[in-house]
Amino acid sequence: MDPLALVEQVINGLIISIFYALAALGLSIIFGVLKIVNFAHGELYMLGGFVYFVVTSVLGLPPVVALILAFAALFLIGMTIERLLIDPVYQGKVERVDEYAIMITFGLAILLQNLMLSIFGPWTKRPEAIFHGRVEIGQLIIGGDRLAAAGIGLVVIGFVLYLLRYTWAGKAMRAVSQDRETASVVGVNAKLTGTLAFGLGSALAGTAGALIGPVFLVYPTMGVIPAIKAYVIVVLGGLGSIPGAIVGALILGQVENLLTVLIPDTTRALAYKDAYGLLLLILVLVLRPQGLFGEKVRRS
Amino acid sequence: MTGIAARRHAVLGAGTAGLFLVVPLFGFDEYWIYILTIGFYYAILASSWSLLVGYVGRISFAHVAMSGIGAYTSVLVNGMLGWPLILSIPLAGVVTGLVGLVIGRLCLQLHGAYLGLTTIAFSEIVRITITAEHEFTRGSLGISTTGLFETIDRVPYYYSFLALLLACLLLMWLVLRSRIGLFFAAIREDEDAAASLGVKIVRWKIFAFTFSSILAGLAGGFYAHFVQLVAPSMMSIQEMGFVLSMAVVGGFQNIFTAALGGIFLEGLLEALRGIGEWRLALFAVVVILILRYAPNGLFGAILQWLVPPKGKR
Repeated sequence: MDPLALVEQVINGLIISIFYALAALGLSIIFGVLKIVNFAHGELYMLGGFVYFVVTSVLGLPPVVALILAFAALFLIGMTIERLLIDPVYQGKVERVDEYAIMITFGLAILLQNLMLSIFGPWTKRPEAIFHGRVEIGQLIIGGDRLAAAGIGLVVIGFVLYLLRYTWAGKAMRAVSQDRETASVVGVNAKLTGTLAFGLGSALAGTAGALIGPVFLVYPTMGVIPAIKAYVIVVLGGLGSIPGAIVGALILGQVENLLTVLIPDTTRALAYKDAYGLLLLILVLVLRPQGLFGEKVRRS
Repeated sequence: MTGIAARRHAVLGAGTAGLFLVVPLFGFDEYWIYILTIGFYYAILASSWSLLVGYVGRISFAHVAMSGIGAYTSVLVNGMLGWPLILSIPLAGVVTGLVGLVIGRLCLQLHGAYLGLTTIAFSEIVRITITAEHEFTRGSLGISTTGLFETIDRVPYYYSFLALLLACLLLMWLVLRSRIGLFFAAIREDEDAAASLGVKIVRWKIFAFTFSSILAGLAGGFYAHFVQLVAPSMMSIQEMGFVLSMAVVGGFQNIFTAALGGIFLEGLLEALRGIGEWRLALFAVVVILILRYAPNGLFGAILQWLVPPKGKR
């Protein structure tokens, strides 16, 4: 195989991994703090794409403003969702907690998808790119729009890691992830932390959607496939594990891109592209439910 | 349950079944007979799904995939090997039963969200594979197939699906009222305690998965020869969302209310066709509200009102 093409595939895989990591990080933070898998994560991602589209293409504001607004809007939406639908779980207002959390977020996904379908129609939209032109490194040519988006994504990931490591709110989230009751005993407001965690997780999904919108287009079902990738990643890395989400994203980005190139029959390789990750997900869940970095629990 | 409540339940059940038996006699539009027949298909899916979720406490997003596997099995065996429908449709049940057995065995230790993710992944893999292997399946175009009957009259289909639905409900009811129903409840409430008291939890968890998969596969097999077309879209996540909504709106704690939810929502879906995708958004809002404030569902609440449970009289 041509080494240049291989390098190009690896770089493409890395760029994709950054978007995957953004979405997966949000999912992992939500799972860590609230112990629920957000089945509406792809739809929050989609909402971010639509906020970006409306702000740049309808209101005509610059892309940077659109990104900030997408983050802020999804943060607020996420906190509202948590207060209305998820928090009741912890107030003992819900029976059958496991099934409730799954079904309520699944219902939310159906709602958001069809709401956007009703308002904007099923057509794809291409919002204003963050950066035009392309970058040339020797013979290697990379689209400037996706490189810029990936760069911003990287900065956001760094910012979140800093937040979790050094700020009070971040420490509270990590504490509640480890043990909700002990965290409450030492003075962490678990209720507020849960709301913030869902807000931050949603905002990360929304930012990923906003960043990728100009590259892969914006439409109501754009979140379905990325959400499934995010599930694969967090399961691979261990549900609730932050380093796991990042390493998982790096692995999935490379596996998908390289498998697609290495399998000779191209049409078939492409048709099965989304299945590799899913197979990985089933294997991990059946053989090692705690993932690469998760903590072992007796029964998942 | 008191004798009076049981009798009231029996009267209500027989009354509802009787109502559906006489519907075609009142000269309803062919179109509505057709819609109700589709409603019966969804009723089988919603009730067999609620058997798993409501009674055993195991969530599955692979239910429409099971129905799809059943449909494709019957259509392919009928079309390529020339088997008659009387053999190919039961084979659909056998195949999905085996798939359910394997999935149930693999997911034995999984719970809640982990089980949800595994079954979603399985469901999507099935859909992707069937779409990709277009030499056999014609990909997303789907395969057209023969009908159950020679006639284009809707009424025979209506009664076949009604009979199938009633048979499935009867079978599930018989299983649930036996000791197995108690084992299910014990597993749902506390697996470890159930195991310590001698409930063979492994056996009954796998049995539940297999049983509900067989019913879904049979429903899918019949459905394929009713609409006379199978396509991968019948196992999309969207379709799973329908089945989930139907069970939740009807009441997923009870197979009968879940079945009514299937018929009711399918009818409503058609009646509200004029408002386009807004109806699906509306359904989703209803699903969320019911989950949050009335977990017994619409028909569950009506049932409780008609036949108050013991102690609340």
